[in-house]
Amino acid sequence: MFTRKRSALLYLLPGLIGLTLFYIVPFIGGIYYSLTDGSYKNAFVGLQNYINIWKNEMFLLGLKNTLELSLICTPLVWALSFIVAVLLNRLKPGGSFFRNSILMPYLMPSSAMLLIWLVLFDYGGVINRLVTSLGLMRVSWLEGAALRVPVILMFVWKNLGFAVVIFLAALQSIPEPLYEYARLEGAGFFRQAFSITLPMVVPSAFLVFVLSWINAFKIFKEVYFIGGAYPDEAVYTLQNYMNNMFGKLNYQNVTTAAYSFAIIVFIIFGALFFMQKRLQDRLN
Amino acid sequence: MRTLRKKHVISRALLTLVALIILLPVVLTALYSFFSPEEIKAFMETRGNYDASVWMEIKLAPRVFSLSQYYNILIEDVSVLRLLCNSAMYTVAILLGQALVIPAMAYALSRFKFRGRDAIFFIVIMLMLLPFQVTMVPNVLTLRAMGLLNTAWAVILPTCFAPFYIFLVRQFMVGLPREILEAAEVDGAGTFRCFIHVALPVCRPILGAAVALSFADCWNLVEQPLTYLAGQTQLMPLSVMFNQLTENPSGVEFAGAALYILPALLIYLYFQKDILSGIQLTELK
Repeated sequence: MFTRKRSALLYLLPGLIGLTLFYIVPFIGGIYYSLTDGSYKNAFVGLQNYINIWKNEMFLLGLKNTLELSLICTPLVWALSFIVAVLLNRLKPGGSFFRNSILMPYLMPSSAMLLIWLVLFDYGGVINRLVTSLGLMRVSWLEGAALRVPVILMFVWKNLGFAVVIFLAALQSIPEPLYEYARLEGAGFFRQAFSITLPMVVPSAFLVFVLSWINAFKIFKEVYFIGGAYPDEAVYTLQNYMNNMFGKLNYQNVTTAAYSFAIIVFIIFGALFFMQKRLQDRLN
Repeated sequence: MRTLRKKHVISRALLTLVALIILLPVVLTALYSFFSPEEIKAFMETRGNYDASVWMEIKLAPRVFSLSQYYNILIEDVSVLRLLCNSAMYTVAILLGQALVIPAMAYALSRFKFRGRDAIFFIVIMLMLLPFQVTMVPNVLTLRAMGLLNTAWAVILPTCFAPFYIFLVRQFMVGLPREILEAAEVDGAGTFRCFIHVALPVCRPILGAAVALSFADCWNLVEQPLTYLAGQTQLMPLSVMFNQLTENPSGVEFAGAALYILPALLIYLYFQKDILSGIQLTELK
């Protein structure tokens, strides 16, 4: 550990200036915007903007959709990535092909992939062929409430790999003798899973959950590419609302909506961190 | 032993299915880029038919293997290529900026002791959680005041300081064994020599991972150009314009998509070991 303050500042300064200029000052400046009326005089209106926006139907719709979509996507990514990671871990040292392909979607540009998703999810497309072969009716995936399905699947497709890699790292750091000992003591597969694997991956599991939730909150690209600025109301997200308000130069609404959302985000993640700490203390 | 092997068969089968789903969209995009524009155009026009007795064909091989989609994009009409160059310009500029700022900041936040360090790190984590729109409007005003709005800098500058990568690299550096840097210091190396000759080389995996992940973000920029470049079509990256190009299909979109995917694929193949080991060695807790 170095303690020389002047040189620490030297490394810190460029980053700190940028963060201050483009993140911290705007963050504080935004609070001011959300409390004024945006007229020529920019009069102070207290919490009036917040009261108005919480009565605004489009805002509430966007907020509801963003929360719902993230509450579907996050557990889905979380559970699927855990399963895939466990499977991959059992294949070691083989399975490098699977391990290598799993992260590829994360780097693929969404807009380029959209084309093929539109073909696959078409009314006469491959997905519907699978659906009918299961004896079900065809679905028009690209319209109405069903639009959520391709949006969610695109999101999971893209974000699964990153979660798998984190889980896999945690699984691989569990010392093998622990399992051998457990087997000698007569512990079965499930007992091992719950008594060894689970406690050992709690920190990573938490991290995966938080990171996928952060990403799920930012779900917008997929919706924007499929539905444009005004998609069906089943997938109209908060980001759509904020971007459209921005397009109408209604800066007060944008910032007020953004802060309302940020407060919700901070409360959720604050609660999660608190829970994780409690859980960790109990396990230790 | 036998049941063990049988279990592996099931794992393998499930993983093959997962890998197939993961690879299929990319493989199909590449495949369709070798169809002739006429054939793919006709194929794309069979979409959106809501007659329950009609299916789209499942095309797995072109009637004639053709490079004319590529010929069209690379030589005849270079508008897609120009947008691709815009994307490349943003990506290179942002990655260079991040290379100057982020490792140094992570170094300061992990290997130095000073007052306010934990507070700064806490702020970095908070900023990481924030959705883009929270700072969007004030940022537009700042950029306008600096005269940078509607220029490429408006997209490049704020993105250079992405908090997530500060977090990622810092977490890796915290986990470095103390002895490595102390040994260099005892040998008389200053903080800068330690940084350049010891810390950075040791951090190769996480730096590689950060480059690859950040490349993915830059290559896929949507929100920033939409707000900071309103209407400046000639400055837009391909990520924003691609779906507008595909609204009236001309039969060359798949070659466009394939060209768009290719750099990302190469970056991924080059850095995949770093991504895996970088994340594995990082104290992400």
